[in-house]
Amino acid sequence: MKYSYDWLKKISGTTKSPQQLADLLTMSAFEVEGIEKIKKDTFIDIDVLANRGHDALSHVGMAREIAALEGKKLKYDFPKLVSKKSGQLKVEIKDNDLCSRYIGVMIENVEIKDSPQWMKDLFEVYGINSINNIVDATNYVMLELGQPMHAFDVDKLTTNNQKLTTIAVRRAKSKEKIKLLDGDEKELSKNDLVIADSSKALAIAGIKGGEDAGITNNTKTIILESANFNATNIRKSRTRLGLKTDSSDRFEKEIDPNLTEIAMARLIELLGGKVIDVVDNYPNKVSPWKISLDLNYVNKLLGENIPSKEVIKILNSLELKTTPHLYPPLSKGRKKGGVVTIEIPTFRIDLKTQEDLIEEIGRIYGYENISSQMPVAHVKPANVNENRLFEREVKNILAGNGFSEVYNYSFYSARDAGLAQLGSIKHLELENPMNPDQEWLRISLIPNILKNVRENLKNFDEFNIFEIGKVYWPNKSVLPEEKNILVGAVVIKTKKSKKATEFYTAKGYIDASLQKLGISDHYYDDFNASPVDTFTPTPKGNGSKTLVRGFITLWHQGRSAEIKIKRGGKEIGYVGEINPLILTELDIHQRVAMFEIDMTKLKEVSESEMEYKPISKYPTIERDISMIANENVRVDDILANLQAFGGNLVLDVDLFDIYDFENNTSSYAFHIIFGADDRTLQSEEVDKLMKKITSNLEKDLGVKIRK
Amino acid sequence: MLEEKIRNIKNQIVKSIERVKNSKELSDLKARSIGRKSDFNKIMKDLKNLSIEDRRNIGKLANVAKSEIVKIFEKAAREIKTKSFDHEAEKIDVTVPGNKIKRGHLHLITQTQNEVEDIFALMGFEIAEGLEIETDFYNFDSLNIPKDHPSRDMMDTFRIKNKEDILLRTHVSATQVRYMEKNNPPFRVIMPGRVFRNEATDVSHEHTFYQMDGMMAGEDVSASNYYSIIDEFLKRFFGKDIKTRMRPSFFPFTEPSFEIDFQCLICKGKGCSVCSGTGWIEIIPGGMINQHVFVSAGYPRNKYQGFAFDIGITRLAMMKHKIDDIRLFQSGDLRFIKQF
Repeated sequence: MKYSYDWLKKISGTTKSPQQLADLLTMSAFEVEGIEKIKKDTFIDIDVLANRGHDALSHVGMAREIAALEGKKLKYDFPKLVSKKSGQLKVEIKDNDLCSRYIGVMIENVEIKDSPQWMKDLFEVYGINSINNIVDATNYVMLELGQPMHAFDVDKLTTNNQKLTTIAVRRAKSKEKIKLLDGDEKELSKNDLVIADSSKALAIAGIKGGEDAGITNNTKTIILESANFNATNIRKSRTRLGLKTDSSDRFEKEIDPNLTEIAMARLIELLGGKVIDVVDNYPNKVSPWKISLDLNYVNKLLGENIPSKEVIKILNSLELKTTPHLYPPLSKGRKKGGVVTIEIPTFRIDLKTQEDLIEEIGRIYGYENISSQMPVAHVKPANVNENRLFEREVKNILAGNGFSEVYNYSFYSARDAGLAQLGSIKHLELENPMNPDQEWLRISLIPNILKNVRENLKNFDEFNIFEIGKVYWPNKSVLPEEKNILVGAVVIKTKKSKKATEFYTAKGYIDASLQKLGISDHYYDDFNASPVDTFTPTPKGNGSKTLVRGFITLWHQGRSAEIKIKRGGKEIGYVGEINPLILTELDIHQRVAMFEIDMTKLKEVSESEMEYKPISKYPTIERDISMIANENVRVDDILANLQAFGGNLVLDVDLFDIYDFENNTSSYAFHIIFGADDRTLQSEEVDKLMKKITSNLEKDLGVKIRK
Repeated sequence: MLEEKIRNIKNQIVKSIERVKNSKELSDLKARSIGRKSDFNKIMKDLKNLSIEDRRNIGKLANVAKSEIVKIFEKAAREIKTKSFDHEAEKIDVTVPGNKIKRGHLHLITQTQNEVEDIFALMGFEIAEGLEIETDFYNFDSLNIPKDHPSRDMMDTFRIKNKEDILLRTHVSATQVRYMEKNNPPFRVIMPGRVFRNEATDVSHEHTFYQMDGMMAGEDVSASNYYSIIDEFLKRFFGKDIKTRMRPSFFPFTEPSFEIDFQCLICKGKGCSVCSGTGWIEIIPGGMINQHVFVSAGYPRNKYQGFAFDIGITRLAMMKHKIDDIRLFQSGDLRFIKQF
């Protein structure tokens, strides 16, 4: 809120310049957002904290704060409300939960005129329209004291009795209509509170007045309202009705019901006229409350040594009454500690606990005066968060292998899911999405990564990207299951001559990464879609290892595999080409391979410690073997055969060349390394082994060894 | 006589070797000087015809000379070899770009996160993780933000269709009580993660961003301790010379609450457009954990005290690297990602 510097100066008695005042407030109370000279005055824009809206959103409230910070007395005479009983006005509060106090004052012989120029200038700063002296006075009091007020034209009210005007504070009837001061019409509900005469609603309580009973140039007799309405209900009503006003802003911050009286007295003082009746309907009076404050706790929480005397001084400067003597008393040479009972004035609704008071002491003492002290703590090494550490390691390995990390939203559209063939799987949906593109909560990282691929292909022709993030699987418990998933994508310049380069490149990256994670017993099994589990499954019906044609799957059925771990046959993820039909739909016109790995499962099988294997002291012997095999022979079969007949002496086998012939046969060339860990192998021994290997390969797999 | 002859041969070699241009000439010279048909070899062969005494003296002399000559030839051979490599002929253009090495890039958020985590880890903080989809209790109620409280308005919340009381967490503070339920003070912990706010995106607003909350609690952890920890963090993150200040603020889950500012690095406190003329930049909100939060976690009221704070990881990354469009982080655009 903007505050008039001249006004604040008058009430608080400060001698500080606007800038000095701004600095003081920023460091001890509220942040000042700007200082602006407007006409003869200067306005300070102060960001009042959310818990102080009830008292500080007014010039008197802010001046009180300034006076406390400067240790001065407030220069404001709080006027007293006159009492006058004539029985001409009656106020009925139908619902005390929604209205705790209502003061109505009837005044006759009011003179309707224009407000003085200075007031018009002031209102301009606040964007308040100057209407006439009556309406303007209610607004002026609101700026001065923080109490929203209202005025009704008595002649426009419907009464059953000429001698008695009755004002009712009641819930609106369902679908009751009201025409507001600005001409707008609103339909109300039973949850909205209205001020009404015997026939109609005159105002939406605490939010906005109605047109029917508005003050005009012909008004002679008025009823002034100063009331206290339930904050939560005001907030709900104004939200529902879409009516945010200066009045609702203040009421929804919960204001002091004792302020209504002061404000009404001030309003009467400003208006003049003849007061003929004052009705104060205040069934449950709010009185000051008490808090016991342990002075040791003050210093323990702040980590400072503020003498008790100073604590008391600070509390008193805030108009908080402390019991005259401490227990045990300070006089007996004691400077610290003790318990003090503090009476909280009703205008400080926010002060409810010891900590609330310690905050007041701390900020007025000055946080800048609190020394910086490192905590004293036991030397207890922090627990290591294994998951986090592992995730960091995986990211580093992938980055080391040339993968760049992307972050995507946790959402995608129903269409995105459909394109990736995930549309038939139950997703969580947002009730209030930003836009339809972000309506579904992801169960897979793949749809968004596919978009990354498409977009980045506009600038790069070769790249590897990955993301590690949460996916959200709906389940029977209250919260969904959040799984941490890794997805990598390999995009390479297409070389038509090589078959499935993308797949094999992705596979190579997985091998390299898993090896670094201490996993040596992983293998690739034919794609075998399991029921809905961690991964992006294919639609049901693909339980067999035969290729399914006729419907689209996310993964290329002939070029995808499950990544498994020998120990327990555990499946940790998938690798494969994305179905080219899907890629085309997404406007990606080249093959893309991806892998999808469950981070939790990956961590379970990784070994943090790698064990050294002795390097053989004996020389090795190398041999090459090449063969032609038909299409149903897999490299894995050849390797297994080689290992089986070569035994322990085969140290390593490396496939170094593949050539696919048109007749569906392929040529494979392997490089085999032989060696023994206890002796130097002789050439003749290896020759013998090679013979055995070749004959078995021919016999078992029907391959043709090329000589 | 013979002695002089040997000396002459050696001198002759030293002289001739200077004129040698290539290894062919050198080997020719070597053959002529100490080869089978050389005068020197003849001397050696003829040694047997000398008297025992001469044979011993001259022989010794000849052998010394020979080894010296061999060394001279070795040295000359090395020199010729060194000279024979023509660097000029193989000169290349060193400004031609190096061969492209495929390098991966961690996302800037990951890098910033790691940096912040490491600073706190050095100060003994452990890392805890929470859930991205939370209940109203952990996101709001447990943090002293009851239903219908205006504070809920400040955080526009994504909700899940057909699920009561489930939301996308609006702050990582939602992890505070979850952590407290499983741990008892004393503790030091940081809680990083992704958070969501239902607000329209533009250069400075995103509905998905990254935060890191921290907490330290025990019997006597104080505001003074809080200030020193945050001051230390900011000095390590932005540089030793940074100036900080602590001033009052309000958050439902802390009491007292503080805002920690640092002096604008651009204008050094004079006031500029970056700090909106104030000379200071608001950076870390926090305060002393509200007893209500401890009670939510099942601790007795006023048994423990401590502080909690929140670091905007996305904001730190933007400030440190002068990024002016927050949407880049989730764009997946490698032209952005590869810069870091």
